[in-house]
This record gives sequence, structure tokens and C-alpha cells, in this order.
Amino acid sequence: MNWTKSLRKSATEKLTWDNLLPSEQPVYVNSLVYSFGVFTLSSLVFCIASGIIMSAKGPLWYQTSSLGEFLRSVHYWSVQAFFFFTTMHLVGQFFMGSWREGRALTWVVGALSFAVSVIEAFTGYLSRGDFFSQWNQVQSKDAFNGAGLDGFINILNNGQVYGLHIAVFPAILIALVGLHLLAVRSKGVVPPYPISAKKRDEQA
Amino acid sequence: MKRGRFARDTLRFPQRDFDMVKEGVISLGIIGVLIVGAAAIFGAPYRPAITNKQVALSSPVLIEQTALGDLSGTGSIASYGPPYNNGWHGQAQSIQSIMGFSPQTWWGTPYPWNTAQNDVIIPLQMLATASANAPLNQALTQYQSASYAQQQQWDTNYSNALNKATVAAGRVVTPFGNFGPVALMMNNELQLAKSGLLSGALNRQTNGGVYRYDVSGDLLFLQGAALHNIANSINMQGGQWGINHDEAALPGPWWLTPYTFLYQIPPYSTSASGDEMAAYTIGILFMLLVLVPWVPGLNKLPKLLPVHRLIWRDWYHFLDKQNACVSCPLRDSCRQEFRGKKGGALSGETPRCYQSLSKDV
Repeated sequence: MNWTKSLRKSATEKLTWDNLLPSEQPVYVNSLVYSFGVFTLSSLVFCIASGIIMSAKGPLWYQTSSLGEFLRSVHYWSVQAFFFFTTMHLVGQFFMGSWREGRALTWVVGALSFAVSVIEAFTGYLSRGDFFSQWNQVQSKDAFNGAGLDGFINILNNGQVYGLHIAVFPAILIALVGLHLLAVRSKGVVPPYPISAKKRDEQA
Repeated sequence: MKRGRFARDTLRFPQRDFDMVKEGVISLGIIGVLIVGAAAIFGAPYRPAITNKQVALSSPVLIEQTALGDLSGTGSIASYGPPYNNGWHGQAQSIQSIMGFSPQTWWGTPYPWNTAQNDVIIPLQMLATASANAPLNQALTQYQSASYAQQQQWDTNYSNALNKATVAAGRVVTPFGNFGPVALMMNNELQLAKSGLLSGALNRQTNGGVYRYDVSGDLLFLQGAALHNIANSINMQGGQWGINHDEAALPGPWWLTPYTFLYQIPPYSTSASGDEMAAYTIGILFMLLVLVPWVPGLNKLPKLLPVHRLIWRDWYHFLDKQNACVSCPLRDSCRQEFRGKKGGALSGETPRCYQSLSKDV
């Protein structure tokens, strides 16, 4: 089997321009719930943009200068917005049973993205460089030790925590979100649940 | 032609115009205004980190008690166990285990920390060298060459004395006793902390030198009563939903609520292995979330709950209003396509009813 041919065939079939950049949607896509996904993505854009500026200037800048403090505030509210809309998106998609009809992978990747987001945010809180970071570092060392993770991640090592926050977890998160989006676009938006048999008979 | 299960390709539903790029840009604009506006109005929480210099100036007895606990082995990190040490003289106090399952011990001691040496002896040796302090040098030599029983006797005597200590002009004053060199050592440790140099002396050890970013040494020194007292005063302890909220009025990491909740109830709040239990409970619950599509019952739950009727209410109204399938020549397949689990349309065929419906949408 030629892997290259298989990949090209699969990508060509699933990732058509009509799928990637649709100019039409099924009529049932008509609810505020559908906005939570794009709001989540928009919040993530602001998380990344403010984070890039902060990492370019370094921790001292965002802890001591007024402009740095403002960027830190933008980053903080981006994260708050991200988790608010992520949670709404997750809950909404659950009630829509959005894993149906060949969309299980979309759900799994979305749930994994949520878990990575939580760890990413946690390492961010530890990178604030204030009492909150200091206190939660010493508190969470017991949690990480108990879980058996401290052999990999020394939560008291600022260099490691900061590196995980600005490079490792963002890379994983962006990859997962990208995969999630491709899965959504290649399968299309999950159709509504059919109306009940009783109701169907009434209609007929 | 074979009549098989209809593949629910969403393109087979009636479509309407949609501008994904415009929606994305508008969303970015709305979210941007919200985020930047909130940042400008509310700012973000920030409370400067606590240093051992501050603690030394405000609570000198506490610094001496902390250092003495590190020296005598009664401090929590002295006997913590992996990943920092193997306990105090082989006795580890903080190894978490659930029925013998103890992943904490799997990695040995990758971040070695001997509190007597790293928190007290080595920083004081640096101070003695830097200040050419002969009495301190002699005190360190005397302590290190004494028997363990003698060391413990001095430590215990000074610990008892610290419980009755007073502070006069920033200095710790204790009742008279047989402390050997320990009183002088502790007073010098306090002076080192007051100067602000203790942090550097601690962190250069975990960094294996300088020019690095590992501040474990300072955090492990402060992590006991020094930080707990402050955290308690601002409701940040674990039993106070600690990490779940920020120390300011602004929202904290509220998304950790399911995890933090566990720390409020037994056995998590009472067990010595509560952290390990909480971590694995959350791990199991998360796996349940990931595997929802395959968990019997859970994967059918949203169909039973009426919330989807609210989300797709326009679609269901649309179907009711049209009642299109009744007059459709492909009535059965049409009805199944709109409402049934399995479609009846011929493979590759689009029911004609869709086209008529599309005009009305």
C-alpha cells in the first residue's frame, strides 16, 4: 500500500474547499449554541496573541511595568473567556449528542483539548510570579507527587513550568484544536435527533 | 439498486447561505472588545510573592523554628520522602499510597534535598565565609562533629526555648538553656534571611549553580507554616477551596471546581493520601468524559433530555410547519431521512422533497 497515495486520497475526499470554507450550512444550524465554538476559538486567538507578546518581553516586564500589567490582564481575561465558552461549547455539544454518526473522534479530540487547556492554564497560573503562583506551587507539589507525575514535572522548577506553558502545552493544544476543527469540517455539523416515533406517526 | 442505510451526509439537508469568514471576524471583534474592555476596567489579580526576608522581619521566631525543624528533622520536608529524599534517617512521613499503589516512589529522588545540609549548614557556611565569621565557623564545626544524640538534645532544648521566645529589636530572645552551638546558628540564619541573601543561598543549590530558573530551594524552605499562615488569612488553603478562587475578588480558575470539590469531602479531605485519591478520581471521571460516545446509557442521555429540542427548536418547528413528507412522492424515505434513524433513500439519490423545502427556507 502506498501511504502517500492513501493520505492524498483521504485528504482530497474529506478536506475539500467546500468543507473547509463552507458558504452554506444545513438549515438546522441555527442557534446561539453554535456560536460557542467560534467564541472559544476567538478567545484562544487572544490567549495566544497576548501570550506571545508577554513571552517576548519576559516575566519581569509583565510583573513590573504598567503596559506589561495590562497585557497580563488581557491574557487573564482571554483565559477566562476561553474557559467560559469552552465549557458552554462542551455542555452544548453533549446535549446535542454530537458524537453521533461517525463523529466520535471529534468528541474525543475536543475532550482531550479541554484537558490540555486545564493543564496549560494551570502552568500559566504558576507562571504569574506572585503569591498565587508561589502558594499553588507548594500546594500542588503534593498533588503531583501523589499522582506520580513529579518524576516528569518538577512543579517547583519555574524554568520547566514556564517552558511547558509557553511551548509544550500550546503546541499540543494547537495541534488538537486543529485536528478538532478538521474533524468538524470534514464530517459536517451533527444533524438533529429525529423526532420520536409517536410524533412521527402523528405527522403521517 | 441496493437500498441501504442512508449516510447522513449533512449536504443532503436543505442548505442556506453561511459566511464562515465573516462570522469568524465578527466573533473576533466581539470577543476582543469584551476581553480588552474587561482588562482595562478590572485589571488582573496580583499579590507580590512572599520572601523569607519579609517573614524574617515580621516573624523572626517563625524563621528560626522553620530552620530548626529543617536542622533537627522535624520539619515536613526533612522527612517528606520522594522525590526530595528518603525521609529523615530512613523515616519518610509523606509517601502517599492507596492499598500499596504508590507512584510517588517510582522515580526515586530526582530532586535531592537534605534540609539540614541544604537549608541550614550550607547557607551558614556561605555566610561564615562571606563575613569571615569565626564564631559561626566554630559553631558549625562543633555541631557537625557532635554525635547525633547530642545534636538532637541541643535541637530539642532550643525548640522548647523558642516556644517561650520573645522578640526584642528584631532579635529572638529565649530563656537560658543548653543549646550548644544551635542558638548561634539559628540567630545567624535569621540574620541571613533578614538580609535577603538566604533565598539566593537556597536557590543556587537547586539550580546547581546560578543563571538557572529552579527556585525549589526557597519554596521548600517557605512551604510550611510561613506560607500556610498567610494563605489561611486569605482563605487560600485546600479546605477553603484554595486553588479554585483567586485571592482577589476577580474570578479564579473556577474550571477546577470538580477537582477542588473533592478536597472538601471525606475521604479526600481526611486521608493522608487524599492528593493521590483526588488525582486518580479526576483521571477516571475525565476518561468517562472522553469515552462518552461508547458509554451505554450516557451516550443516549442527551436524546432523552429535552435540551436538544430547545437547541434545534427552529428545525423542529420547520418540520412541523412544512409537514412536507405527507405529500412527497418519496414519502417513506423522506420521513425517514428527516426523522428516522435509518434513511430509506436510494444510495446516491437526493430525495426530491429537499429541493422543494430548500426554496422555502
